[in-house]
Amino acid sequence: METSFALTGKGYVIIAADTTAARSIVKMKVDADKIKVLSPHLLMSYSGEPGDTIQFAEYVERNIRLYQIRNLYALTPSAAASWIRRSLAESLRSRNPYAVNLLVGGYDTTSHQPHLYWIDYLGTMTEIPFGAHGYGSYFALSLLDRYHDPEASLEEGLSTLKRCINEVAKRLVVSPDRYTVKVVDKDGVREVEL
Amino acid sequence: MARRYDSRTTIFSPEGRLYQIEYAMEAISHAGTVIGILASDGVVLVAEKRVTGKLLDLSGAKEGGYGGSGEKIFLLNSNVIGGVAGLTADANSLVNYSRTAAQRHLLLYNQDIPVELLAQRLCDLKQGYTQFGGLRPFGVSLLYAGYDPHYRFQLYHSDPSGNYSGWKATCIGANSGTAQSLLKQEYKDDMKVKDAISLVLKTMSKTMDSTSLGSEKLEFATLMLDPKTNQPKARIYKPAEIDALLVAEGLVKKDEDTEMKAA
Amino acid sequence: MSIMEYNGGSVVAMVGKDCVAIASDLRLGNQALGISSNFQKIFPVTDRIYVGLPGLATDLSTLRERFRFRVNMYTIKEEREIEPETFARLVSSTLYEHRFGPYFIEPVIAGLSKTPSGGVEPFIAATDLIGCLNFAKDFVVAGTASAKIFGVAEGLWEPNLEPEDLFETISQTLMNAVDRDAFSGWGCMVHVITKDRVITRTLKARMD
Repeated sequence: METSFALTGKGYVIIAADTTAARSIVKMKVDADKIKVLSPHLLMSYSGEPGDTIQFAEYVERNIRLYQIRNLYALTPSAAASWIRRSLAESLRSRNPYAVNLLVGGYDTTSHQPHLYWIDYLGTMTEIPFGAHGYGSYFALSLLDRYHDPEASLEEGLSTLKRCINEVAKRLVVSPDRYTVKVVDKDGVREVEL
Repeated sequence: MARRYDSRTTIFSPEGRLYQIEYAMEAISHAGTVIGILASDGVVLVAEKRVTGKLLDLSGAKEGGYGGSGEKIFLLNSNVIGGVAGLTADANSLVNYSRTAAQRHLLLYNQDIPVELLAQRLCDLKQGYTQFGGLRPFGVSLLYAGYDPHYRFQLYHSDPSGNYSGWKATCIGANSGTAQSLLKQEYKDDMKVKDAISLVLKTMSKTMDSTSLGSEKLEFATLMLDPKTNQPKARIYKPAEIDALLVAEGLVKKDEDTEMKAA
Repeated sequence: MSIMEYNGGSVVAMVGKDCVAIASDLRLGNQALGISSNFQKIFPVTDRIYVGLPGLATDLSTLRERFRFRVNMYTIKEEREIEPETFARLVSSTLYEHRFGPYFIEPVIAGLSKTPSGGVEPFIAATDLIGCLNFAKDFVVAGTASAKIFGVAEGLWEPNLEPEDLFETISQTLMNAVDRDAFSGWGCMVHVITKDRVITRTLKARMD
């Protein structure tokens, strides 16, 4: 089942999302990238109702890009997250609400701080040191409570992430077997192999 | 020639000019002067008031409010102050528009509007009146003194055509040419707010037609970072504070009438 | 399960002698699952007014932003800060605008109003989710633990408490009430508003 994790560390945010695109009980695709790069220092993982996810993620992606083209600089992570939250909150009370859950992580180049936001389909938003969506969250959150360190190096952060992935693989009946992992820090966004 | 092409704002003359815009600019060049200077640690605005007199009720400006008498210098948002020159009634409408635009940005992005974006919002509105509707353009130029985390302290100028530009030091209103050349001579790149205050007041005292330089003729404001919170903090001076500042700068011009009476 | 209990959280406000206090828990949940233990539900409106917004968290953010918009426009146009009673009416009318599709929030307002003689007078109020105001003279409660808070507050509160005593009263009330509520807790935050300053403290609470 769909699962995504994210955690912050010293000067970085890691976001991981599984790579399956499923329909009913069938895996239709096993190499889907469900983490969008919204700007040079901003990542967003998305999960939820298929169709809504891609439609909403692309809508966000293009709007964030448009702001950057118009103003020559990108939105800060907090401004981008606030805008995305509002889009979801407005959608919630429309005729066809988007059912999309997000993790928005970025590096603020004005204050030199990493930020991570947990957003659900209702438009609930909170800034967190670590978080997760989907069935994996029930296993990962307690592990992260125990092992997360806001001052951890990237290697330590990635090994904490591996603990989460392994635990989900071990205990979840329908666990995903592959994940995309992306990191954002002062140097920008990059994908890493676990 | 002008007569045939200035009855509508949106019609070019054969020489490719929009007369109504030029007339609006002319109106501004008769208005009270506003000077702005950008320093490394803040921005300074000073404005010459035209509506004065003994009978004018200024009790609101002396106490209460956030400072200023509401004629020339306005708080547009917590991070931007605006100085206006031109038709005051038009300016009030633009000030209100910019405040709403700034709050809309805050609502949408949870952050203060970047200074240039606020200038753009107003210019989009002003430009509209050079092209649509057959209404007259806004007879107002503005100086925007502001702060945002992207480009820190900034000073912008916008005119009735909807053009805007960023400046280190600039001036709008009557005698702006004189003031501009004075600023060009005296401006230094490493100025602090303290130096900018001296320069802006000195320039203003040389530019103004009036012989007396006092709080009844001036509005004054600074925008700096609050040392405690590290957030931008606008300070629009109250009349008593302006007088104190003029005394401190040694710029209190004597009113000739009072001098004669004393003698 | 009611939508009002989806995210959990509780707020309480109390009147003291020339002071008021407002306190909330810090939990954000998804039904029984805890998401954040640092989720603010109380926001400053002016130096002398605070508003607590327990209920559905998405509407909490939306309303907070809307109130900020309207208060900022009020402040900049009127050139003075809004009074607590005026703000309470603003809250009420904003909520009632959505009478037939409401925001799922029950705001609590605490502040000090200015008296004509230059002194201050404590003010608290709460509304339901469509803006029906309740001006209380002692304390107001809202959120998933509201019934429990009522019980403890009824026993502990007394008139004319000094700021430090009021702090103790509101803290004990909230902490003991949320310990019996599954959807509130995970830390508490208290603000005591006095004439000269606002005392803000986070309480060391049970984190289970």
